[in-house]
Amino acid sequence: MTALFDSLQFIYAPQIINGLSIGVAVILMALGLTIIFGLLDVINMSHGEFYAAGAYLSVTLLGLDLSFWLVLVLVPVILFPAGFLIERYLIQRVFHHRDRHILTLLLTFGLAIVLEDAYRLVWGANPMRPETPISGATEFLGIYFPQYRLFLMAFGSLLILGVWWVVYKTPAGAIVRAAAYDRDMSASLGVPVKAVYALTFAFGVALAGLAGVLLAPIYSVFPTMGKDFILLAFTVVIVGGLGSIKGAVIAALLLTQLQSISSLFISPVWSDPLVFGVMVLVLMFRPAGLFGGFKNG
Amino acid sequence: MADAAGRVIRRTEYILLAATAILFVVGLMAGDTFFFRLATESLIFGGLALAVDLLLGIVGLLSLGQALYFGFGAYVSALLLKEVAPSFWLATGAVLAASAVVGYLSSFIALRSKGVYFALITFGLAQVAAKTVYNTRELGASDGIIGIPIVVIGTPFGGLDTANAPVFFLVTLGVIALLYGLTKYLLATPMGGIWHAVRANEARLPFIGFDTLGPKRAAFTLAAMIAAVSGALYPMLRGFVSPELLYFSTSGNAVVTVVLGGVGTLIGPLFGSALLTGLRSVIGTWTEHHQILIGLIFVAVVVLAPRGIVGIAIERAKRRAGEQI
Amino acid sequence: MNEPAASPILRASGLSIHFGALRAVDDVSFDVPRGGITSIIGPNGAGKSTLFNLLSGSLKPSAGAVRFDGTDITALPPARRLRRGLARSFQITNLFFELPVRENLRLACQYYEPRVKLWLPVARNTRAADRTEQLLESFGLGKRAATPAGALSHGEQRRLEIAVTLASQPKLLLLDEPTQGMSHGDTADTEKLIAALARDTTVLLIEHDVDLVMGLSNRVIVMAQGRKLTEGTPAQVRGNAEVQAAYFGDKP
Repeated sequence: MTALFDSLQFIYAPQIINGLSIGVAVILMALGLTIIFGLLDVINMSHGEFYAAGAYLSVTLLGLDLSFWLVLVLVPVILFPAGFLIERYLIQRVFHHRDRHILTLLLTFGLAIVLEDAYRLVWGANPMRPETPISGATEFLGIYFPQYRLFLMAFGSLLILGVWWVVYKTPAGAIVRAAAYDRDMSASLGVPVKAVYALTFAFGVALAGLAGVLLAPIYSVFPTMGKDFILLAFTVVIVGGLGSIKGAVIAALLLTQLQSISSLFISPVWSDPLVFGVMVLVLMFRPAGLFGGFKNG
Repeated sequence: MADAAGRVIRRTEYILLAATAILFVVGLMAGDTFFFRLATESLIFGGLALAVDLLLGIVGLLSLGQALYFGFGAYVSALLLKEVAPSFWLATGAVLAASAVVGYLSSFIALRSKGVYFALITFGLAQVAAKTVYNTRELGASDGIIGIPIVVIGTPFGGLDTANAPVFFLVTLGVIALLYGLTKYLLATPMGGIWHAVRANEARLPFIGFDTLGPKRAAFTLAAMIAAVSGALYPMLRGFVSPELLYFSTSGNAVVTVVLGGVGTLIGPLFGSALLTGLRSVIGTWTEHHQILIGLIFVAVVVLAPRGIVGIAIERAKRRAGEQI
Repeated sequence: MNEPAASPILRASGLSIHFGALRAVDDVSFDVPRGGITSIIGPNGAGKSTLFNLLSGSLKPSAGAVRFDGTDITALPPARRLRRGLARSFQITNLFFELPVRENLRLACQYYEPRVKLWLPVARNTRAADRTEQLLESFGLGKRAATPAGALSHGEQRRLEIAVTLASQPKLLLLDEPTQGMSHGDTADTEKLIAALARDTTVLLIEHDVDLVMGLSNRVIVMAQGRKLTEGTPAQVRGNAEVQAAYFGDKP
């Protein structure tokens, strides 16, 4: 009996908590992806590079001796207009094309190529790691957890709740959902659809950047960091159902738990294939993911 | 295919062939091995792009994971050459057969989904394969397989030494031309018509008597075979294979090549591959950041001219001929 | 009109389909006799198009069965139904818009050729080619053969739609509002065309234009709110009080 509790306490609990903190981070990424898809029907292949942009900006700003908390505010503020401009002046240019799905995917893919190499050009290819803003560890149930991870989970959860609240409980969210549901109808009712598109895209980009700031102290900052992370985020979004906020949250928590618990039994190098295997299975039996789009609530 | 389009494609074929012939002679006179190796590489990756174009430009399926089959072909070829016998015919023949099986089987997974889901699932499949290879010690893990012996291709007219750069260039040219010719032939059959029709309006096909899954499966399998045979040539050129061949960057570069050259034109991807390989090597002499420039060119093409270079030429020719676009 | 004695070409029995609580088609049974024109009329939302989707195989019924030419086809996908001789047109023009007119027809005629020939050059598929030219000619689309279907006028597109549907020489032709959005002149032409078609094949027609239906049809089935209200000859249907109320209520 004690052996069971010991293994629960010292082996499973840390893995579960570890998985949770990754889960929260993945949700932050996946939310932007899924909202952008839900409204614009755009698969944003450069989402990972915006996440990296957030991380790199935080490295530079912290290097200017700004406080972490200020950087946490500044980075999304810088990235928001960047996202707005990209939507307005690039994505909109191919948005009305017959092959919109493919062209927007290709466009954001091209953007990702440019950004990734730009990071290499500006910051170099070597990984960097900003100092952890909150040091120390807290004892909980006899195990020590790094305080920054606890902060990340708490702050991340608040952000997720905030996004949910914005999308489902505010007039702005109602406008976005209406535009996602029926673009032409919303336009005829006086919704400035174009502005809504650009603002929503910018919102998703800012969210990815914020995730970059938050995660930079835990994972290192390097040019392909976005690409490594986006895979998991895409998997989460697909399994949850493209465009579904609820689906993204649930899928992110399930898949990251699966990853961290399975790594106790199998080599962690197989965790990616495992997670993709789950995605393929889900797609085979539920081609639209576990939950529909956020148009359906 | 409309007349103007056919004419432009024919002309592009001639231009490419003439340029190849001139460069071949120039290269021979200069005795430049590097140049021939580069040209051979451009053809090999052109074959991969051809496979992507068959799916994207003809059937309307965006594959973000075609490198899976390319890498599969490269690894199978490398293993056979190294462990079994350094035989060109054994390697290409086995790759052709094995990729047909692998392509057909994976089509059951990939074609469960449509549109962007198809793109993402091919992406995921390739990524799983890449990570698996990367972590498999028997396949050399992150180092790949090195030390592949030099292959002498046995023919009725004597042996062709793949270590001889101009000779292997001609061999590769022959293989890729064969793949191109086969694909072009198929487009002129009713099956090719059905592929075009899937892209144009998939939902209508059942009501003129055709199930769409079968033809899509055929195209997917064929694209896997084209990519794999192209990949099978890679270890003969380089003497090694590595997991990078399966990475997303390889799949992504193929998509860039197709879009730049001209989606749905088949010759465009080969043209695009020659162009990009040349560009990379030229830019590479003064900066290692050629991806930025290629990415910018790609973004510009997607935004300004999504039909690509050959596509633009076709559009112009049609306009001049007074055909409707 | 006389009831044909032969077995019906199509028999729908107890066809139902529910979308959640909505009974789009509810327990509908009818026969389509061989030859002539049978029409389905009914106000918007009566379930006519859904019924067509059930007959052509786009939708699977929640209950009921479809028999065609003596065999149960309820479980067959659309392509197999077409190969048995059941073809349909679409209310909203549904063509291969990027492909030339000739290619649209050639694809529809490919059905004639053995499957192996799918892998041989188009030129070797002579039966399909002949039939294509014949259709181009008889539908007056010869001059437009090289034009992408998307660049045709609306009237031409509607004609091509019917030609494509007819390419397989179906035993039963389901026409979904063939005059939709047509001018008066075009409508009159189409009316003549449908009458001509009915000489060689059986036609099941959905139509909004009640006058056109009454003039053309041998039998009329009236639907309302997913159910069959009544059926009979045009005269019988016109005389039916229920139909008067439900459908012709606003007509003198």
